[in-house]
Amino acid sequence: MAFLIDLTKCIGCEACTLACKQENGLPPGATDKLSAVTWTVIERHGGVNVKRQCNHCVDPTCVSVCPVAALQKTSLEAVIYDESRCIGCRYCIMACPFSIPKYEWFSTEPRVRKCIHCFPRLERGEQPACTAACPTGAAKYGKREELIEEAKKRIAENPGRYIDHIYGLTEAGGTCALYLSAVPFAQLGFPTIRTDTTYPHLTWNVLRQLPSVVSVGGVGLAGLWWITHRRMELAEERAQQAAEKAENEKEESK
Amino acid sequence: MKRLAQIPRWWALTALILLVGAYAMWIRFTGGLGAASNLHDGFPWGFWVGIDVLVGVGLAAGGFTIAATVYVLNLKKYEPVSRPSLLTAFLGYLLVSAALVVDIGRPLRLYHPLIMWNPHSVMFEVAWCVTLYTTVLALEFSPLVFEKLGWHWPLRAIRAIYLPLVIAGVLLSTLHQSSLGTLFLIVPEKLHGLWYSPVLPAFFFVSAIAAGLSMSIVESFISSRVFSRRLEHDVLLGLARATVVILGIYVTWRFADLATRGALHLAFTFSQQSVLFWAEIGFGALLPLLLMLLSGDKIRERNLFFYALLVVAGFVLNRVNVSMTGMRNIETYFPKWTEVAITLVFVTLGVVLFGLAVRQFDVFAKSEYVEPGTTTRNGWFPKGSLIAVAGFFVALVLLVRAAPSRAELEARLKPAPAQLAMHVEPLGDPNENLPQDLTIPSGGNSPGKVVFSHANHIAMQEKVSCMECHERTFGMGFAHSPRLKGEQWHRACGTCHDGKKASSSVSDETGESCSTCHQSQ
Ligand code: SF4
Ligand code: SF4
Ligand code: SF4
Repeated sequence: MAFLIDLTKCIGCEACTLACKQENGLPPGATDKLSAVTWTVIERHGGVNVKRQCNHCVDPTCVSVCPVAALQKTSLEAVIYDESRCIGCRYCIMACPFSIPKYEWFSTEPRVRKCIHCFPRLERGEQPACTAACPTGAAKYGKREELIEEAKKRIAENPGRYIDHIYGLTEAGGTCALYLSAVPFAQLGFPTIRTDTTYPHLTWNVLRQLPSVVSVGGVGLAGLWWITHRRMELAEERAQQAAEKAENEKEESK
Repeated sequence: MKRLAQIPRWWALTALILLVGAYAMWIRFTGGLGAASNLHDGFPWGFWVGIDVLVGVGLAAGGFTIAATVYVLNLKKYEPVSRPSLLTAFLGYLLVSAALVVDIGRPLRLYHPLIMWNPHSVMFEVAWCVTLYTTVLALEFSPLVFEKLGWHWPLRAIRAIYLPLVIAGVLLSTLHQSSLGTLFLIVPEKLHGLWYSPVLPAFFFVSAIAAGLSMSIVESFISSRVFSRRLEHDVLLGLARATVVILGIYVTWRFADLATRGALHLAFTFSQQSVLFWAEIGFGALLPLLLMLLSGDKIRERNLFFYALLVVAGFVLNRVNVSMTGMRNIETYFPKWTEVAITLVFVTLGVVLFGLAVRQFDVFAKSEYVEPGTTTRNGWFPKGSLIAVAGFFVALVLLVRAAPSRAELEARLKPAPAQLAMHVEPLGDPNENLPQDLTIPSGGNSPGKVVFSHANHIAMQEKVSCMECHERTFGMGFAHSPRLKGEQWHRACGTCHDGKKASSSVSDETGESCSTCHQSQ
């Protein structure tokens, strides 16, 4: 499932921020930026309000980098977090191209914190708390394909209102948060990121060579050893033969 | 005699480092990562990952390089180097594991990657390789312990599997020396173009070999001064030649890669990163490369030490650049004293353990013994080299501070964000989306109806947020607010219009009258 976030409709009321806090039991306050206690936020960019939260990438970077599979992509597209597995390596925070996951830095039992698409609500068949609270319909919940159709329709039917770019359609290989805007996304603090590949591919292309490196390398090294070892043996034999020969000749000449 | 007098001084320094480090660890484990470091959400990996892990693992690369040379390539000449480099590698990996305990958020779960798998994760591969390779290193090192204890059958058992062990060690090292580079392939936007490259894994591997070889030279020099044992000149020369070849490959490849990626111009743009790049490549690779090439066979040991030290410094700088100074957001991070103090503990422990092992086991068994006093003529401290390297780093810091930062350079390219709202089509203007003005009908004693304007109220706030009112005073369901009646409105509006928070119109403390709001017409 996915979000369609129409920045031209957002009035910046922050109902989503508060609904998210209520739903997920996060402490109030600190609503100016994403943090361990604020999973969705309204960023102000010169009069344009930008709702940010985890984009629930189609092929999520965070899921691919987590060594213990604490982050997982569910069948409902939500990217969720199992805190009992997490070792706190913070590779997910490092790697997410949208800089979404946050950490509880001052805890001795820290957790990674981020929007989980209200997965428990989705499982009950409800929509996420933030879209439910949105009074203008700027944040809408639905199936990704349907929302893409709707976004395209909005762009087509309202020429001049939107730029012709659905952010999230191809960004990072596609995300489940789709954005519509009147101004270029680069001016709204959206990272300009790769659209030609998903991020997990960047490392998987190397990682999948591992079996060949091990097998070819193993055989190669053993072969090298065999050659050098054999050469030494031969050299020794030859030296021995030469010595024997010399001795024989000596005896003969006697 | 002079050396004996120095010993208490060194022990005092060691004790001081350990004490301060213990305090730093206490902060770390009682206050969390945030209390013991300057790491934050914008900069989640810092000094511990950059120095303790990346540099620590890289400098241990001599272990597998020399093992491969001696046992696979059968170049027995280098056998005397194999034990010291093995010891370095083993201690290096133990200390890297210890550093991980400090760095990861939940250290008690360090074993999780072994039982909870994600083969798509580079970190998962690194975790497995480090674990397996540390085991291999322990086995490779164990003959020294068995020799000492005089245990014969385990010694024979290890010797029987020594070749497969060495091959496994070489493979595991190859994998994860390069994996440490692969870790950064996932951040193409965050890592600066001078370092981000699809062949970063190969660069990590090659540079680690050069650094590992140079480390062996450095160690030989130091141990000749401290333990009166050193490697033969011939062996050192061989190590230096190998370093030259590998550095040559490395530097050429780095520039070829920059050129093919079209990033060469970044090296010639004056910025903090280009300064760091030239320090790393120029002083840490090209300079020692040329010096070693030019000085030929008659090279003095003291000079060789200096050149090898340069290579090691360049290597350290490279890892620092990839993990920290080349990263976006570096402006927001500088290591806290606790981070440095804990790292110093590991370095100190490494040195102390190395010394203990050398005294206990036959680490330098087959190497040349130097009569004490023959090489210590000028004191055993290589002052010149150390001062040169320290001076180089000071100059580097000054130059970097003078150069424009990445954020500044990027800001110059960005369009000014100022007047965005003017470009927004009608529905994009927040005021246009506000509910219409509300007309509150006059109650019994009211002089006139009150018109409430959302636009006015929004405009008077510092930050546009409906939640200022709609969270508490008027609830979140927008529907019920207009259904309030008479006195209820007085109370509701009065939460702000109390004569203090907002100008009075309900209370008469400020002398305003009902007509401020209730306009009779
Ligand atoms: S936006 Fe970041 S945290 Fe969210 S799914 Fe994508 S990679 Fe993961
Ligand atoms: S910090 Fe936790 S969730 Fe994130 S990558 Fe590491 S183990 Fe996975
Ligand atoms: S989907 Fe749920 S968790 Fe995510 S931002 Fe919305 S309310 Fe918060």
